[in-house]
Amino acid sequence: MKLLTHNMLTSHVKGVTKGYPLLIKATEVKMNEVEFNPQFVSRMIPKLEWSALVQAADELGQRQDLPGELVPDYEKNEDFLKKVHRLLLEVEVIEGCLQCPESGREFPISRGIPNMLLSEDEA
Amino acid sequence: MWHSSSSTDNDATTGDIISVTIGATVPTGFEHTAAEEVKEKIGVDARISKDRGRIYFPITTDKLFQVHLLRSVDNLFVVVEEYDNYQFKESKEETLMELQELASKLPWTNALEVWKLNRTFKKKKGYRKGGNGTKGKPKSEAAGATVADTEQQELPQATSTVENQTEESVPEAESDTQDSVEAAPRAILIKFRVTCNRAGDKHSFSSNEAARDFGGAVQEFFQWKADMTKFDIEVLLNIHNVEVVIGIALTEESLHRRNISHFGPTTLRSTLCYGMLRLCKPQPSDIILDPMCGTGAIPLEGAIEFNSSFYIAGDNYDMAVNRTVNNICHIQKRRADKGSISGLPIDTVRWDLCSLPMRTSSVDIIITDMPFGKRMGSRKKNWDLYPSCLREMARVCRPGSGKAVLLTQDKKCFSKVTVIIR
Repeated sequence: MKLLTHNMLTSHVKGVTKGYPLLIKATEVKMNEVEFNPQFVSRMIPKLEWSALVQAADELGQRQDLPGELVPDYEKNEDFLKKVHRLLLEVEVIEGCLQCPESGREFPISRGIPNMLLSEDEA
Repeated sequence: MWHSSSSTDNDATTGDIISVTIGATVPTGFEHTAAEEVKEKIGVDARISKDRGRIYFPITTDKLFQVHLLRSVDNLFVVVEEYDNYQFKESKEETLMELQELASKLPWTNALEVWKLNRTFKKKKGYRKGGNGTKGKPKSEAAGATVADTEQQELPQATSTVENQTEESVPEAESDTQDSVEAAPRAILIKFRVTCNRAGDKHSFSSNEAARDFGGAVQEFFQWKADMTKFDIEVLLNIHNVEVVIGIALTEESLHRRNISHFGPTTLRSTLCYGMLRLCKPQPSDIILDPMCGTGAIPLEGAIEFNSSFYIAGDNYDMAVNRTVNNICHIQKRRADKGSISGLPIDTVRWDLCSLPMRTSSVDIIITDMPFGKRMGSRKKNWDLYPSCLREMARVCRPGSGKAVLLTQDKKCFSKVTVIIR
């Protein structure tokens, strides 16, 4: 699971109102090189929940010097874009789980695939 | 008379540039997107045939390799001759006789040059057989040798057209004779087959009969050996009402499943996936969802061909998500082996699409192959499935700019459901 995907995933357990962002508990993380496309990154940033990305990076110990808030003129800052690219696309959670912040329900991640299926009574 | 010799591959670079028409078969309904791709990658206008699923475009031999860059085409062939309005004879016998006569009158030369050139682009397959001495004989002797097999009335025609052919192509004949004298022990036996596709209700013959008789005449004309399974040349005879096209295949097997190593029961052809993706015009940074991804054919094709977007493949079935991940890994490994950066902009999630664990309005494009209810699920299940999944898909789609491309065969169910949702 890449952090870009995590940024869009939310808990949908019945009755939960604050199911985002999901907490990440990773037991295995891998790096997977992906070609850098600055236009992709700079256009993606406005679509992200920035604080959720920072939180996820923190949880994985991958934050490095990522700012808590977006810097102005980031579109032209290639260094910054490369850091964001790495976090969004190259860090992969292979094993672990995602946890609903409100209900505590855990969704397992195995082989890089989060299993978000709910049981009958949770849906 | 056209011989093949062992210097075939070298000849390809010394030939003049010639212009030919290429035909391509594409998934039905995607003729226009394929024509668009041809315009974009080859720079020529393609013509869409009345025979569904076919487009035609001109190309010069110096640009031939470009046809193999096309992602929307299933099969490619070079046109030998086209008839817009072929007047078939009344009776089956006369019609088939005419087809036989056609074999020796067609302008084969350029198409065969293109076939030769095209072979140099492909990996060489194993089975070249050497030294069949009879191939070195001049044409008329060989024709005479087959008298016993053919009907009496054919022989005068066969030899007279052979003589004509030899007259027209004297330079070729000379060099061939030299080749055959020197190279007879190494001459290559060409194997061929004829594939006939026939559509229309006014024909007096079947595709098998046409293939058999036309093929017999081709065999006699070129002295190639007929072999239905291990062939070098596949001659295509396409008959659609009064449109007749004779071609030579440039692709061996369909380019359908190029990305998928792990199949599922309903894996979609890559060419169809490409057509659907082109239709939705992915933009850089678009988030593209396939919420019923099966083996991941659509998002994987997207991650390769339209790689400035990001793809999320999801399915509720564990075998499906596992196969998707296997297919992604397979492609990444292939890229790594070639020394390229292997990572693809794609992720896989296991979910129930009637309750998508995604933020509202976070997705730019939804593209999927809806269960048809025949091979997967059932008509009744579709009835229940469609409303809730369409609602979820609408919810996660970005308002204003979001789009969806859905492939479904169950039109009735789909149109009823869209009315309910509105």
